[in-house]
Amino acid sequence: MNPEPLWLTFKLATITSVILLVLALPLAYWLAFGKFKGRGIIESLIGMPLVLPPSVIGFYLLLAFSPSYWFGAWIESLFGLRLVFSFSGLVIASVLYSLPFMVYPIRAGLQSLPASLREASYTLGKNEWETFFKVLLPNCKPAILTAFVITFAHTVGEFGVVLMIGGNIPGVTKVASVAIYNEVEALNYGAANDYAMVLFAITFVILLLVYSVNNRLLRVRQPS
Amino acid sequence: MNIQRFFLFFLVFLAGCSKPSEEIVVATAANVQYVMKEIKAEFEKETGKKIDIVVGSSGKLTTQIREGAPFDVFVSADTKYPQEIFKNGGSAEKPRIYALGTLVLWSKKIPKAELNVEVLADGKIKKIAIPNPETAPYGEAAIQVLKSKNVFGEIEKKLVFGESIAQTAQYITSGNVEAGFNALSIVLSPEMKDQGNYIILDSTDYKPIEQAAILLNHSEDSPKKKTSEQFYKFLYSQKAKEIFQKYGYK
Repeated sequence: MNPEPLWLTFKLATITSVILLVLALPLAYWLAFGKFKGRGIIESLIGMPLVLPPSVIGFYLLLAFSPSYWFGAWIESLFGLRLVFSFSGLVIASVLYSLPFMVYPIRAGLQSLPASLREASYTLGKNEWETFFKVLLPNCKPAILTAFVITFAHTVGEFGVVLMIGGNIPGVTKVASVAIYNEVEALNYGAANDYAMVLFAITFVILLLVYSVNNRLLRVRQPS
Repeated sequence: MNIQRFFLFFLVFLAGCSKPSEEIVVATAANVQYVMKEIKAEFEKETGKKIDIVVGSSGKLTTQIREGAPFDVFVSADTKYPQEIFKNGGSAEKPRIYALGTLVLWSKKIPKAELNVEVLADGKIKKIAIPNPETAPYGEAAIQVLKSKNVFGEIEKKLVFGESIAQTAQYITSGNVEAGFNALSIVLSPEMKDQGNYIILDSTDYKPIEQAAILLNHSEDSPKKKTSEQFYKFLYSQKAKEIFQKYGYK
């Protein structure tokens, strides 16, 4: 088995999860406590990757990233970067595709905190940002951990979008899910099984870890 | 509605679905999809029977057939895959070649006069699409052409692999790559007409793309047996040959 597609998969999942964590923290906070018009629209947009077929996202990204259309042409003239068939393109696609998996658990975690926690922090003279980073976030660690791991696992499982905009380039865009698909097409069931088993085992282990850790953390917080 | 009546309704509904049909399903390699549309129309006109076409890459269709997909005839892009099915007992008859495929170089951006394999090494060409050579015979042929023209080493890093000939065509027509390799039948189809420029590549630069079809197994009492045989025969008829030629097959 060539380990490259697996390595690429985990690289993609790690980079995507880190970027999304940075983006999702303020976004989740805004959605949890912000008062603004058009909330429904924003929430719908963020949640769309949950229900949209990846082929829809892949199709629009293929057009958006193409140098024949304005966005792709603009990026290429600006940075000399062609997003389609590139690793950076996959990262952008994955960030869009996994967005709700990061935002939703964190928002739910923030909302489940008692309002008195924030109020106490404000009363003690902390401003909004200090309250967020020093009080709220440390109190929803399980939610953040869940969000991070689910995002990671979901990106590992990404297939449809990569198939459409990846171009199957070894070492660049040929991630494990696509490699499995290829091996099955080439009738190499043995090789497909090797990749599939690794993904199967690793996904199980990371989910097992997160749920065990979460159960322990939650048990500590909940008075029995 | 009480629960019994609901189940009765449901059962009747299901029974309606499972009525044996004589409509056959032809698994079709992506490069022949447009030709098959015409062949299907001709066959249906001639016999009054209906056929369904399922399009995919030959590799994927072969896997599906191996795992029991209910297809009746398999029209492949090569001979290797149908041979594989025959060897595994999926058919009582050896596959037969119905046409020879022709490889083209296709571009939306490069003018026809400048279009050739050597130009692909130019710095202005950033990405080149070919069908995945591991699973698609046209991709294999493209690699052979690149190697025989001694440009493979130079352009290897620019290659992008389509899952099938259809996806490769989509990469080319959407402008995501500057040029790509494809089947003549695709650029000649009404759907792809006027989508850029193409040149037919010298057929001595690659091994002939021998496209074969295979009649898949049927039980003796299957209502689809007769239509499948009829269609399989039609595929090798003079009429079908003329349609294949119209689409650039030899």
